Amino acid sequence: MKSPSLTLDRRQLMLGAATASLVAVMPVSLSAQEAASRGGVLRYATLGLDTSDPHRHTGSIAVQQLYVEALTSIGPDGRVEPFLAEGYEVSDDGLTYTFALRDGVTFHNGDPVTAEDVVANVERVRTNVKGGWLASAMKLVDGVNAPDDRTVVIAMKEPYAPLANLLSELWIVSPKSDGWNETITTPIGTGPFVFGEWKPQISLYAPAYKGYWRGDMPYLDAVEANLREDLDKSGAMRVGDLHIASVPRDEARQLAKSGDIHVSQLKDSTWYFVSFNNRKPRPPFDDPRVREAIMYAVDKQAFMNFLAGDDGVVTNQLVMPGHVYFDQGLHDADKHAKPDLEKAKAMLAEAGVKPEEITIEFLSWQENYPQVVVQMVRQLGFKVNHVALDDLGAQNRLGQYDWDMNAMASGPRADIFLRFVRLMSNGPNPVLWGGVQDPELDAIVEKAVAETDEAKRKALYLKAWDRVMDNYYTVVLGHAANTIAIREEVQGYEPGFTWSPNWATGGIAQTWLKQD
Amino acid sequence: MAFAHAHGSAGPQRSGVAVVAPVKDDREARAASEPVSDPRGQRRASALGALVGGAIVALIALAAVCAPLIAPHDPLAQDLLSLNQGPSAAHLLGTDHLGRDVFSRLVMGARVTLLVGLGGTCVAFVLGAVCGLTALALGRIPEAIVFGAIDVVRAMPGILLALLLIVAIGAGTGPVLLALGLSYAPHFAYVARAAYKREAAQDYVRAAGLFGGGRLHVLSLHILPNVMGGLITQGAIILPRCIVTESVLSFLGLGSSPDAPTWGRMVSDASRYLEIAPHAILIPVLALIALTVSLLLVGDAVRAHLDPLRRVQAAKGAA
Amino acid sequence: MGARLAGTGLGVARLLFQAAGIVVLVFFLCRVVPGDAVDRMTLEGGLTLAQEAALRAEMGLDRSLPVQFVDWAGGALHGDFGTSLRYHRPVSDMLATALPSTLKLAGFSFLVGIGLAIGLAVAAAMSGSRWLAGLVNFVNVWSIALPTFCVGVIAILIFSIWLGWLPVIGGLLMPVLILGMDNAGQIGKPLFEELREATTSAHVRTAHAKGLGPVRVALFHLLPTALPVALAMSGLVLAGLVAGTLTMEILFGLPGLGSLMLNAIHGRDYPVVQAAITVAAVGLVLINALMDIVHRAVDPRLSR
Repeated sequence: MKSPSLTLDRRQLMLGAATASLVAVMPVSLSAQEAASRGGVLRYATLGLDTSDPHRHTGSIAVQQLYVEALTSIGPDGRVEPFLAEGYEVSDDGLTYTFALRDGVTFHNGDPVTAEDVVANVERVRTNVKGGWLASAMKLVDGVNAPDDRTVVIAMKEPYAPLANLLSELWIVSPKSDGWNETITTPIGTGPFVFGEWKPQISLYAPAYKGYWRGDMPYLDAVEANLREDLDKSGAMRVGDLHIASVPRDEARQLAKSGDIHVSQLKDSTWYFVSFNNRKPRPPFDDPRVREAIMYAVDKQAFMNFLAGDDGVVTNQLVMPGHVYFDQGLHDADKHAKPDLEKAKAMLAEAGVKPEEITIEFLSWQENYPQVVVQMVRQLGFKVNHVALDDLGAQNRLGQYDWDMNAMASGPRADIFLRFVRLMSNGPNPVLWGGVQDPELDAIVEKAVAETDEAKRKALYLKAWDRVMDNYYTVVLGHAANTIAIREEVQGYEPGFTWSPNWATGGIAQTWLKQD
Repeated sequence: MAFAHAHGSAGPQRSGVAVVAPVKDDREARAASEPVSDPRGQRRASALGALVGGAIVALIALAAVCAPLIAPHDPLAQDLLSLNQGPSAAHLLGTDHLGRDVFSRLVMGARVTLLVGLGGTCVAFVLGAVCGLTALALGRIPEAIVFGAIDVVRAMPGILLALLLIVAIGAGTGPVLLALGLSYAPHFAYVARAAYKREAAQDYVRAAGLFGGGRLHVLSLHILPNVMGGLITQGAIILPRCIVTESVLSFLGLGSSPDAPTWGRMVSDASRYLEIAPHAILIPVLALIALTVSLLLVGDAVRAHLDPLRRVQAAKGAA
Repeated sequence: MGARLAGTGLGVARLLFQAAGIVVLVFFLCRVVPGDAVDRMTLEGGLTLAQEAALRAEMGLDRSLPVQFVDWAGGALHGDFGTSLRYHRPVSDMLATALPSTLKLAGFSFLVGIGLAIGLAVAAAMSGSRWLAGLVNFVNVWSIALPTFCVGVIAILIFSIWLGWLPVIGGLLMPVLILGMDNAGQIGKPLFEELREATTSAHVRTAHAKGLGPVRVALFHLLPTALPVALAMSGLVLAGLVAGTLTMEILFGLPGLGSLMLNAIHGRDYPVVQAAITVAAVGLVLINALMDIVHRAVDPRLSR
């Protein structure tokens, strides 16, 4: 299962960059059209940056990949690819992962990256970091060691299939970084850009790292990440104040018309769903028949069309068509592909529910799309008390389990397990999904995680999903990818699978700005 | 004229608790109440203005009361196939970003909007004017306490106070009203104090006190009628400000519930779609302007009617 | 003299009382807000209940409110506003980044506002022009009925996007003009009313009669009347400016106190909220006190 490192180089060649990279001294631009021109500051705005400590991130991870890299990265197709590791092997029992480190990688302070450094990073995350996606994986790690300077071995207590994917978010930082023992304040990474000046909520200025390991990349002088959460990115894109930005889909459509901007999207999707309160359901919403009836009132097609126009995908699954874990049969059998108000009303009557007498406590974030769902549910005669809250207000209120329904969304993840784990009894932050507590479901997911064979794993995940659907814990409305607007002067950038702007076979390291 | 008078008489009393502020506050309050002291020539225009203003306010109030009869559509009903459409036969004033009928929302919204405006103004009135006047009547110490608290509230950036409050007690109409009331209470309080000091120094009020009238009795019988004019004018300014502030809160993501069709919320929701659906923002903004102008005109007229000095001047002018 | 000193002492006591009141109010309001910084980590990173409890203990969020308050207030007195729960940076650093931008925006728009108001009001009062008086009223209604964010959105569309004249991010001209117009509306109307009374007053008429030019009349006879009123209004205007800068900061991507506070409120980053509001409010109290001194200096009626 050794991944050949050669492919990386070949792809770089295809991108027209490596000609120069092989002979680094040679001046750039053999042919003005194809060769990357150097220089310029790229202004980039997607998500924020919560912390200067790459191991303590709280989820907004779209910026720190500029300056830190991991053993693996997620390719545009969602598959894991070696990154700082040249390749890796998994033992047949799924318990031992052996990583061969890439040669010639240096930290921003010039130190070469050694196996000991990597071990120190894994240990730091294992012992110091309390939350985060890696926490559950790290609990299963039996030991990490470095048999030689270029090899890292991670031994697991039990087989854990998502590990290689999750390691793409275990960033390797020099143990000499300031604050290593507490909170890292100036991370020394290996990325194409250096952690320069950080103004929380405002900006991060990241100048290029001259000693970057990928050929003569990066081509840009620097990246300036705008970290404002409330910025009018569309306006700034049109005026040229930003080069790359994530924008709401309806605004993206407008931008695409302007001519000097093209709109692309992340390769993994955001999925939209309606969840019921599963922890403390209130009658009649504890009855799966009532939940089913309500879902018959929701017109998924109209909803997705409102949300994403032609780009929206209506389905009943956790992933989009084309994804490894997608199942066509299940998709085709979606009972709620089309709304059926009459059936919904009949089912409610059969269950003895009089909607006029019931007020649904409906929670959401402050977005437009939940209002669409609410209005559809109202068609059945229910009164709906729609409470729209900010992130943390919603988080807090959801956790009180004093509501009936919600309409929410969840973004790209490095591994399918990160979607299922939220449906598990002791999963992290289960509130968006109504706090499902179902030991049988837990057991199936755990089996899937431990399964090393991909086909069998998929079957187990599908079995788990069947159970979720049968109980109407949560109902998928559909998928739509996050839209990224890119100005035309930006060359060699195509959004990746997740929010990360840097991965082994593409990203911001190979991006350059066409100068007039 | 009234201004100089107020200072002349409030001056000697200015030895107690608040040395720095009251003078300035009097002026602020006076200035904030934006009185229109028309020279005689403009009185007729003002009367006409008040008439037009009153008619518009009445019209909006009527729309609010009879909204369900006027609105052609359910203000919440969405037509997801015609988002952000301009005016047409089906939708007189077009549709918004959720395909809702703008005209129906405007009419139904008048109700919620006036409720928010009136409610916020009333809360501010009670917190500022009622508490303030009562404290003033009760003596130095209550005055110091209440106005100390009001000073603290005033020093807080109003909108941030409102934000914090709404995040603290949850979104919804109630919290929004409370937040609005709290932020505008100082405006009423200062106007009330300025007028109170002016009146309290008048001979007849002193006489009433000497003849053994209870403090609150004197307040309600002698002072209140003369203070009301300024307070009402103030109310006419605060009311549209409450409506606008609610809009800012919505823009910042903390307004009333997402369903409530307030004009403020309509403005803030539509601001994202300005380019493709300018009508959706222009219509509530125009309504807001019409309401504001009308209220100002009516406020001026009411004040002119209630202000004792004005009445005297008017009588002189007539004679 | 003695009375004056006593007055100053009382003034200072009053300022201190206000400042203390603000600090207490903000602190306790912050703690009533549902959700805290740990919730944010849970939301995005996924924590179990046990991990949440441990983190709260680590951040000191599990201690009783009075204890937290004393701890915080003690630090704040020394200019130490603690560490941001979300960004693990000293709050004072974040304030230092935000303050200059806000001061610049607020200062310029205040100057533009007061300048515009005085100019317009004096011109309208002296000329007696109906058209100018109408303009004063127009600006006044504008400032009451039009939320600044709404004007901002429209201005961005026209001047940045359609005409391409001004940047969206970081430009100062548009926000300053928008806020200035807003301020001018609030100050201009009462100022105009005051001046209109003054123009009919005896000494101004005398001045005219003596053959003084309109500019000199304006400078020496009207302006002294105008300034105190304008200054008096400024207190309310300045208080409103903090809110005004907030929406402008959001629209024009400016780093400032307002957006720092807003983001901190959304992130339940109490130390930042507390510090930012405290700084803004105490600053406002000080500016008001300063305005009062200036006010006394320029208004002869008050210095008696």
